[in-house]
Amino acid sequence: MALLEVKNLDVRFAVRGGDLTALRGISFSLDKGERLGLVGESGAGKSVAAFSILNLIAQPGYIAGGQILFEGKDLAAMSERELRKIRGNRIAMIFQDPMMTLNPVLTIGTQMVEAIKAHRRISTKDARAIAVDKLRKVQIPSPEKRLDQYPHELSGGMRQRVIIAIALLLDPEIIIADEPTTALDVTIQAEIMALLLDLCEQENVALMLITHDLGVVSQVSQRMLVMYSGRIIEQGPTREIINDAQHPYTQGLINALPQMGEPGARLFQIPGAMPSLKNVPAGCPFNPRCSFATDECRSTMPDYVRAGNVDVACYEVERLIAQEQQAREVAP
Amino acid sequence: MLAFLVQRISQAFLVMFVISMIAFAIQDGLGDPLQELVGMSVSLEERDALRDEMGLNDPIYVQYVRFAGNALQGDLGISYFYGKPTLQVIAEHLPATLELVIGASLIIMVFSVPIGVYAAIRPQAFLSKFFMGISTVGISIPVFLTAIMLIQLFSIGVTIEVFPADTGWGAWLNGALSTDGGLPSYGRGDELTHLFGTWNSGFFSWNGLLHLVLPCVSLASIMLPLFIRLIRAEMMEVLQSDYIRYARAKGLSSGRINFLHALKNTMLPVITVGGVQLGIMVAYTILTETVFQWPGMGLMFLEAITRSDIPLIVAYLMVVGLVFVITNTIVDLIYGLVNPTVKLTGKKA
Amino acid sequence: MMTATVSRWARVRDSFLWYSFKRDKVAIASFIVLLAMVLSAIFAPLLAPTDPYDLALIDIMNSELPPVGMSGADGAFPLGTDAQGRDMLSTILYGTRVSLMIGFGAVVLQAALGIMFGLLAGYLGGRVDAILMRIADVQLSFSTLMVAIIVGAVFKASFGSLMFGEIAIYMLIFIIGVAEWPQIARTVRASVLAEKKKEYVDAAKVMGFRTNRIMFRHILPNTLSPIFVIGTVQIANAIISEAALSFLGLGMPETQPSLGSLIKSGFDYIQSGSWWITLLPGVVLVVLVLVINLLGDWLRDVMNPRLYKG
Repeated sequence: MALLEVKNLDVRFAVRGGDLTALRGISFSLDKGERLGLVGESGAGKSVAAFSILNLIAQPGYIAGGQILFEGKDLAAMSERELRKIRGNRIAMIFQDPMMTLNPVLTIGTQMVEAIKAHRRISTKDARAIAVDKLRKVQIPSPEKRLDQYPHELSGGMRQRVIIAIALLLDPEIIIADEPTTALDVTIQAEIMALLLDLCEQENVALMLITHDLGVVSQVSQRMLVMYSGRIIEQGPTREIINDAQHPYTQGLINALPQMGEPGARLFQIPGAMPSLKNVPAGCPFNPRCSFATDECRSTMPDYVRAGNVDVACYEVERLIAQEQQAREVAP
Repeated sequence: MLAFLVQRISQAFLVMFVISMIAFAIQDGLGDPLQELVGMSVSLEERDALRDEMGLNDPIYVQYVRFAGNALQGDLGISYFYGKPTLQVIAEHLPATLELVIGASLIIMVFSVPIGVYAAIRPQAFLSKFFMGISTVGISIPVFLTAIMLIQLFSIGVTIEVFPADTGWGAWLNGALSTDGGLPSYGRGDELTHLFGTWNSGFFSWNGLLHLVLPCVSLASIMLPLFIRLIRAEMMEVLQSDYIRYARAKGLSSGRINFLHALKNTMLPVITVGGVQLGIMVAYTILTETVFQWPGMGLMFLEAITRSDIPLIVAYLMVVGLVFVITNTIVDLIYGLVNPTVKLTGKKA
Repeated sequence: MMTATVSRWARVRDSFLWYSFKRDKVAIASFIVLLAMVLSAIFAPLLAPTDPYDLALIDIMNSELPPVGMSGADGAFPLGTDAQGRDMLSTILYGTRVSLMIGFGAVVLQAALGIMFGLLAGYLGGRVDAILMRIADVQLSFSTLMVAIIVGAVFKASFGSLMFGEIAIYMLIFIIGVAEWPQIARTVRASVLAEKKKEYVDAAKVMGFRTNRIMFRHILPNTLSPIFVIGTVQIANAIISEAALSFLGLGMPETQPSLGSLIKSGFDYIQSGSWWITLLPGVVLVVLVLVINLLGDWLRDVMNPRLYKG
């Protein structure tokens, strides 16, 4: 049984004039110690997906349907009290901007100790010891001093290390990291990412990494899923998807990477833009931008088909697979 | 820290200097000590000689220096009406105003924080909407009007006879909405406890406390809606921030999140605004004391105006100016101590 | 070239302002009430049953009659009479008129002063800015009401009660206008500072426009929107300030009372049970200020939802 299993998760935003659907029937799973990458453009729904696991979606968002099974129990159906026991404890989160995430008027020590004491009966002294230990693990110099400092006294990179340390305080099973390096200086992004990766491997912590950076995903994650307009359109082992993307959108994403272009030639760009929540087209949401779109694409949402170890939601892929099948049956 | 204090104190001196100049200008322009000292039958030559003696014919800056010098030594002239040194008159009236302000501040602090926080956490609740509605109305009622209404309701009493008295529900409503009054609405009462110096307190006797009720509630009534709205607005904004969401993600209890994480951030701007409101409080004190004939500084000032008691007016302005400058500095200091992102050199970190 | 001309009225109708106004019942109700009060104040001489300041018409025998509905009331005086026998409805109508005049006058003055000083401080910067803002800060820390009281006290002491009473209405406009300019000046200055950084100012400078012209014709129009919001609330504040000053005796005299001085003179009779003399003008004052505040709230929400936290 997978550690975390999301089944048909539906997340909506209640706004005047009707609800907007942010996530439509998302399904994926995460095994113990596995590293999963969530990729997509801004607005595709990856952050919403990340926050919905611990039911932390900002109002007016709400979980409209589906299940989020953690060790067999449905998080989506849990009361706030029960959820609180899991948050920060079994499943931890890392937000994007460490300056906005840490409370500016409380010391680092306070914010670390409270995280521990919220879930364990332990003295402040012992909690501080654990905090210092974790700070050392994230390679922050003079960890004891840091406890009494305020967030604004640390650099951006150090703050994110602190956040990582906080995430590890209670030895969680899963860490959900929402764009953990995007707000950092380019020069330290790699460092922080490497640190996170290292620690997850050491402690055998499952990592759900949300990012728009395909490069990071390809280096860090074992499996990945691609989101578009609130739907997962391709899901499978990272290596397979990066090397041989099936869905036209994923192909476009990879082709758009500067590394894929010829020096001096124009960079590839997928024409058009992802639709906003209010203007989602019927059928496959990608169809207005897809060169392979058929009438079927414009009317019904495609189901998932398997190509190798990868699940893809695309009629064109379905057709190509069927063709291959036929060709194999003909030639012995 | 030292640099901050030095900067603020020098600023304070500057402001006091300007205030003293204005006060002196008023004194020089309006006051004619000669008029008060001698009658009509004194000849012009004698008047002039007297003027010389009193130094009233000296150049203006000399007179000002004398004025300022005296002020620094605590001599701000003799009140025309009371015949005593103005500072003494002020000292006699100060405790009354102080107790009024203390009482009103207590009420404000005790009520505004819980109500403001509640209205922020549960904005849709009936109570929240109710309090916010009252606040909007409250801001529109000038403090002296609230005082008058309170007097009518709780001192004089109101008999409602609107509902039909011969029905059970009518009579009950009439009774429930009527008040007997009875709370004192004039002065501080007879049972004041002497504390020290000129301070006779009303807090230590039942009679004294009764007399404090209506005036303190009136004074609080204008500031309370302000603070409730302020706390609610600030808190609602704070609750939207990332660090609150992060605190939830750590699994902290909502009590801790609301009353530590959120509240501490909320109170910072409230302290700043609160400091500014102090100034308004002094103005409202004058109004409240007028309604209740409360023998404090405000009433003293007003009477001094009516009686053209120039020295007292000038002394009052100086003292009030000093009080403002001191409280503003203290408020800034407190803010600097409480907000860790502000280094007390006055610069942001 | 064909240009479609959209009439001004159509543009107003389609604008967000109107849309939001129509949907906000509180705003509409407030506006109606305000309009009613303003109109009745303007036409007070026509609407009032009597002229309460014509000594020949007042009969002391009519004094302290209660409003209609209570025993002893006289239909000729629907809201009762005061201690001199004056009809309350008439005094309130005239009083509202005075209060509104002072309110508007004071705001016009403080807006003029505030805009001028705000523009100067913001655009010229340097020492001018430092000095002006320092004065504004000190004035604000004393609270504008306190400043008004002090200035009023000094004027009353120097002019003497009688003369002060005769020019009271202009005095009050002056006092309140001078006391309240810092708020508007600060807002204008902030706007100017923000606008100064924008490109069109550089463009104007490059084209060689003089400082004045740049300030008035280019920067000023862009800073007007926050002024409207503040201006509305300031009218309410001015009315309250005037009422407070009158209540303290530093305002309108009994011969030409505002709502504030009506409340003051009526207060003496509350102990004897004639509550209407003081409380009726009080209620009118509260309603007036309330509707202005509500409209101001709506205006603020419409023009810039997050900027003014009040």
